[in-house]
Amino acid sequence: MGQTVDIGKRIELVPMDPHFHDITIALYQQGPEESPLFLVHTYSQIEGAQERIQFAIEAMTHLGNLVVTANGLLQFPCGSGHQLACRRTFLESCKLSPNESAEPRPLQILDKKSGLTITVDSLGKGIYQVKADGKGRRADRRISAIAGGLMKLGEMEEVDGTLDKVAFPCGDSHDALVGLLLVRAPNVRAIVREQEMAASRGVLAAPSQQN
Amino acid sequence: MGTEKQTVGPMTGRERVLAALKREPVDRTPICNPTSVATVELMDLVDAPFPEANRQPELMARLAATGYTELGFDTIMPVFTIIQESSALGCKIQWEQKDNWPTVRMREPIWEDIDEIKIPSDFLTHQDTKCVLDAIKILKKEYGDDVAIIGKTMGPWSQAYHCFGVEPFLLLSLDDPGQTKLALDRLKEATIEFGVAQIEAGADALTLPDHATGDLVSGEYYERYLRDLHIEFVERIPIPLILHICGRTVDRMEYIAQTGMAAFHYDSKNEPGESMEVVKERISLVGNINNPETLFSKGPEDVRGEVYKNLESGVQLVGPECAIPLQTAIENLKEIPKAVQDWHKEQAGLN
Repeated sequence: MGQTVDIGKRIELVPMDPHFHDITIALYQQGPEESPLFLVHTYSQIEGAQERIQFAIEAMTHLGNLVVTANGLLQFPCGSGHQLACRRTFLESCKLSPNESAEPRPLQILDKKSGLTITVDSLGKGIYQVKADGKGRRADRRISAIAGGLMKLGEMEEVDGTLDKVAFPCGDSHDALVGLLLVRAPNVRAIVREQEMAASRGVLAAPSQQN
Repeated sequence: MGTEKQTVGPMTGRERVLAALKREPVDRTPICNPTSVATVELMDLVDAPFPEANRQPELMARLAATGYTELGFDTIMPVFTIIQESSALGCKIQWEQKDNWPTVRMREPIWEDIDEIKIPSDFLTHQDTKCVLDAIKILKKEYGDDVAIIGKTMGPWSQAYHCFGVEPFLLLSLDDPGQTKLALDRLKEATIEFGVAQIEAGADALTLPDHATGDLVSGEYYERYLRDLHIEFVERIPIPLILHICGRTVDRMEYIAQTGMAAFHYDSKNEPGESMEVVKERISLVGNINNPETLFSKGPEDVRGEVYKNLESGVQLVGPECAIPLQTAIENLKEIPKAVQDWHKEQAGLN
């Protein structure tokens, strides 16, 4: 009778896609936790909805270097989950309008807080080093903060007690993911606030709790 | 397990719900949503998004039906919001978008004095009340033999918050109990009119939210201002009524149990066991799967745990504690009926 089937565990949601008729797009996880596959899905049946989903999938392959399997699911080339990073890739992909092209982001940003140019170098085996150039202040602290941001956003690990090196537990390089996360790493608190606001939307409060 | 001691043959969802509301034997515990189970994904599935699904009967019916067709509940409840009557009374409504609830702009109250209370002559023909009546008619025709169609009529305490504003009305209740009772007495006619109209449209039972919530209103307040009014509703609205009050309400469940309401839709801030002990089979309980933490943020295993806890305490009808968050995952909602069925199978295996 129903049209909804078991398509896995929903791990992220864009409740209203501003670029396509406010449809809801969700990211589902399938398969074992250690080597999951990801499904981008909408229940919308309006014309063009599947093209929008294909665009989001394509964008995820560029922004996060995920690969598409034969049955249209996504996975990382290393086979690991990297769930938080995958969710971030999904959210960023859905922010792109169909007129924009999804390009991998550079491993360099200008840190607005310090004025420093932050660069992340891949050292191989999934290890990345954060460096700072320029006349900005507190370079060591910013390097440490941004490395910490990458660890939180990408579930990366610190390397031998250093403050400037982080690594993916899978031991593989993920340059595109690091480029994507680097934009957000200087201000993780903003992401947390954004997530809290998104989560509170759509929760019905009793009249006594409403503003 | 109050309602399933006797063995009975297979029942339809409608029969099951109506029996459980009377604490009569059932073939299994019904899955019941006295409040909304709409989600943004279900809106997409049937192309019936908010806010339109609160204002157009075909869309309202289509979205509500997914509670049965997709989620497997024994009830269909089309009145997603708590503002339909307030809109008809003249309150200003913030209709919001697909991903959020419409709300009354309580900072712009429509009444300051109780002498201003007036139920408009077009109260039942206003777009937002008529939408509910028409949606119930559609659902009754299409699903009425299979599932219980549950309507909703807001109680006078909730209406007073919407029409006077929360703070002014609470201050009135402190300063002038006589005027407060008079206000509630005048507002109760809207509750009855809309409730009776929904019965005529085909509703099998009605949810009656009256937000004397645990955070702002004490059990003593409930007894003073609302118990007798709720008894009157039972007398004047000839259909099973499901009272809904959010929050910690164990302190007023004794009074609620005295009203003759068919059931109380209770919040997860109350333990199933302690709640059953207070109401002592005088009314049924419906609930109380937690929304923000469990249905919204956790997974099917946690949902299952809460379903089992209710079943083991003998709660007569199982469902979410309140209107679910619009971003709730479908897999969590579908787990409720699965868990109920599995629990009954396990019980049958034990006997």
